[in-house]
Amino acid sequence: MSTAATPDLSVDLAPDNSRELRLRNPVIAASGCFGYGEEYSGIIDINRLGAFVSKGITPERRAGNPMPRIVESPAGMLNAIGLQNPGIHGFVKKYPPMWARWTVPAIVNISAELVSDYAMMAAILDEQPAVAAIELNVSCPNIARGGYCFGWDPLMSAEVTRAVRAATTLPLIVKLSPGAPNIASVAVAVEEAGADAISLINTLVGMAIDVRARKPLLANHTGGVSGPAIKPIAVRMVYQVAAAVRVPVIGMGGIMGLNDALEFFLAGASAIQVGTGIFVDPGLPIRLIDDLARWLDGEGFSSLDQIVGIANDGFRSGQERPLATWESLGV
Amino acid sequence: MAGLVARNARWEGQKDYRLLPVTPSMESTGASREFESQVLSVEPIMGDAVLLTVSAPAAVLSRLKPGQFFNIVTRFPGSWDPLLRRPYSVYRSHHDTSALTFLVRPFGRGSAWLSERLPGEQIGMLGPLGNSFTVSNRAQRLLMIGGGVGVAPLVMLSDEAATNGLDVVFIMGAATEDGLLAASELSNRIEYVVATDDGSRGHRGLATEVLGDYVQWADQIFACGPEPMYRTLRAVVEPLRINRKPGIQVSMERGMACGLGACLGCVVETTRGMIASCVQGPVFDLDEVIL
Repeated sequence: MSTAATPDLSVDLAPDNSRELRLRNPVIAASGCFGYGEEYSGIIDINRLGAFVSKGITPERRAGNPMPRIVESPAGMLNAIGLQNPGIHGFVKKYPPMWARWTVPAIVNISAELVSDYAMMAAILDEQPAVAAIELNVSCPNIARGGYCFGWDPLMSAEVTRAVRAATTLPLIVKLSPGAPNIASVAVAVEEAGADAISLINTLVGMAIDVRARKPLLANHTGGVSGPAIKPIAVRMVYQVAAAVRVPVIGMGGIMGLNDALEFFLAGASAIQVGTGIFVDPGLPIRLIDDLARWLDGEGFSSLDQIVGIANDGFRSGQERPLATWESLGV
Repeated sequence: MAGLVARNARWEGQKDYRLLPVTPSMESTGASREFESQVLSVEPIMGDAVLLTVSAPAAVLSRLKPGQFFNIVTRFPGSWDPLLRRPYSVYRSHHDTSALTFLVRPFGRGSAWLSERLPGEQIGMLGPLGNSFTVSNRAQRLLMIGGGVGVAPLVMLSDEAATNGLDVVFIMGAATEDGLLAASELSNRIEYVVATDDGSRGHRGLATEVLGDYVQWADQIFACGPEPMYRTLRAVVEPLRINRKPGIQVSMERGMACGLGACLGCVVETTRGMIASCVQGPVFDLDEVIL
């Protein structure tokens, strides 16, 4: 168990917001992988987590997609759950009262198809004392723009961020979509629109086909790819975003152990989220906290912030960069 | 419950993998209900399947109920492929030796890996998970109907029922005689009725075709097998039931990720809505399942 490791793991994810989002450690359970917290409350000591993010909440109740909703892929999985959730009103009645008895900060992930619906949900959450922050899922179709994904476009991402910012003073994390052609420009846009922090990456859209049945394996046809298979993409995007913005970055994508977590910190993430890894290894987030403290201590660091971004030359430079370079294109 | 993975996708060069030592990781995992088991024995059964017997803490065995399952790691430590755990319901529990037996048929990569383990190797377990079969206090006559490896949880249920002095009829169907459970696997107090597609043993045809003779005898029916079997079961049993008696409990087979009700990847559509089969199942009242 945890030894005499004493490094400071605390992290402030909303330094410019008076309502604060101070976590005692940087390990956060990711949205969609941790239910509403109660699912894991009998399995791990959830109050030891830095924070957790709820399943995605929508304006109205959703029954979710037909089965099958998940399928395995090489070193990963695809999911198309379809945002099964009780809707913002059902959610608010049930979960924040339960969370009020816990000490772990609870972050609520919200999804919608209209800017006004995002703002409506944010205003409701603003009045919930047990809600520590909002994570804005912009990987949703904007039905006012023909279904084009908010998160693929800097202007649409900024528009929804601005609307939510106006509706709440809660710490606001914007969760970026890896489908954006230039994720750094989306990050800069949501930072300017009032995001306190940026999390990335959401799942990548993928597909698997049942060769015998000659049709897609998922009932929804496409699904989000997650797990170790996507980690290099996630680390690269965190690296690019952490150089482009000054707000804290929360990295995620395929973290299965300490070494993976360290890659994200070194790339410029101030905190991490663990998602698919929890499905496979429920003890992982707690173990990461202990392993991280031990590693920092062993390497002679007294606090986590001493390693954030040290593998990233441009970390928090906020410099205007060309949209693409040979380096950024992996050549 | 191996529906997640492509069938018949056995590894190339699997014999080489088998020689690698499996590193035991006995450190605290940080999660309760998670433990490491040691493989105690692997015996062939039902054609290409195996009975995998592993150690388990006494505390786990004492709270385990028939129909519950474990979410099992099916890869070597340090590998992330195949990534997801595989849910297996318990075939038999052994309080005297503090062990659990699972029935594993190599359908896909995870089940193939599991079926190739050797005694002494370590396996990561999470469980027991899920609800269980419920035997009514007033029930004396229990009818089991199992299809293929679906017999697993019914064997544990039958063990307990026979020990408690209940009358059990156990119906099993398979393609050929080779695929049947050997009669010696069941207590001699249990009436074992078999059907094979080719007539190599017992009734020639489907297990559901011999079911009708027992429906009105039974106080409760318990079934585990593929979903088409439940459709047939419903069609056969429904005209013979009075006031929805006897009740029918079925274990639903679903691919899973978390096994804890968090991901909602394993839901079953019921009259109560989309329900996570890992927590509020895998056992459902057949009357509420929308097939």
